[in-house]
Amino acid sequence: MTTTEAQNIKAHVSKPNVLDMFVAGARRGFTIGTTNMMPNVIMAFVIIKALDVTGLLKLFGIIFKPVMGLWGLPGESVTVLVSAFLSMGGGVGAAAGLLTSNMLSRSDITILMPAIYLIGSLVQYLGRCLGTAEVNTRYYIPIIAICIINALLAMWVMKALVAFF
Amino acid sequence: MEEKEKSSEESVKWYSYVALILAIVFFSGVFATSKEWWSVFDFTVLNGAFGKLPVAGAKAMTFRGAGGSGGADGFLFALSLMPAVILALGVVSVVEGLGGLRAAQKLMTPLLKPLLGIPGICGLGMIASFQSTDAGAGMAKELYQENMITDDEKTIFCMFQISADGTITNYFSSGVALFGALLTPIIVPFAVMIIFKIVGANLLRLYIKYVNKKEQNAINAGE
Repeated sequence: MTTTEAQNIKAHVSKPNVLDMFVAGARRGFTIGTTNMMPNVIMAFVIIKALDVTGLLKLFGIIFKPVMGLWGLPGESVTVLVSAFLSMGGGVGAAAGLLTSNMLSRSDITILMPAIYLIGSLVQYLGRCLGTAEVNTRYYIPIIAICIINALLAMWVMKALVAFF
Repeated sequence: MEEKEKSSEESVKWYSYVALILAIVFFSGVFATSKEWWSVFDFTVLNGAFGKLPVAGAKAMTFRGAGGSGGADGFLFALSLMPAVILALGVVSVVEGLGGLRAAQKLMTPLLKPLLGIPGICGLGMIASFQSTDAGAGMAKELYQENMITDDEKTIFCMFQISADGTITNYFSSGVALFGALLTPIIVPFAVMIIFKIVGANLLRLYIKYVNKKEQNAINAGE
């Protein structure tokens, strides 16, 4: 084998074509979809169903109406934020479940979208991000507080932006 | 480390910037309602839609049907999202492969110091954190261990990462579930997230400055 041939092979190995790249990503999408998104969405739908059957959802709606009302959201939307705190997929699933049962409008979903991620999966990420990077534990509480501030501010920004669309 | 930087700079070609711009257009939804040929550059257009099942005496509906609830409805809903998740991550992978994310990194690097108060060397870790929580955190730790960043800079960098961590991967997988309900283009909530990641990092930056000053004062008072 000549050097050029070897180089060509090397170039071929290290540089897959666009179709290979797409298929590799699509495969990752399938894996994430089935092993992560789907279980989280089902969990969220089951939680919403359980809250609905027990009447707790209605109760949350009444209790949190004044708080969530600050963003023009119904009280039930608090379940989206609480689920998001546990897992992003769960937050998204809760939002989708409430949309299906007409408890949240499309405008409510748009307002909640960035907030779901800004406080998303914090329970896990304390370990996976701050733990891995060995961040001083004295900053954990301020960091969590800032994530919550981020989410709450983002809901106001989205509320203002929705008006333009 | 210098060599590493050089090689990552070299791999940013003209088409990397084209890929980055096309990706932004693709997910922005600006061509979503267009009837012209360029609607091919739109995520929702290429993702298409499921066929509708005719229902006697009612509006045709997708296989998910209407009036479902609980785990069963959740399963069919999740199933209906699979094509969008597969397509979105396929496209992200192409953009990444063509160097689009490295192009973004190159554009972001000079902005890190003024925007976040962390050195430009964090650019690679920042782009990694957009794709994977674990990779981003691992790189922050490594930069600190190699004395490239201080402990305070590492903390600020991690604050940037943790709020909406794995931004691209998470938003374009689970987020897909709500894309259809959004009243704004898909890219708007994404941009809001990036802005608040920066806001959050700066809030912590101020807090760290305050804590350090207080400690310094305490030491001075002790003397």
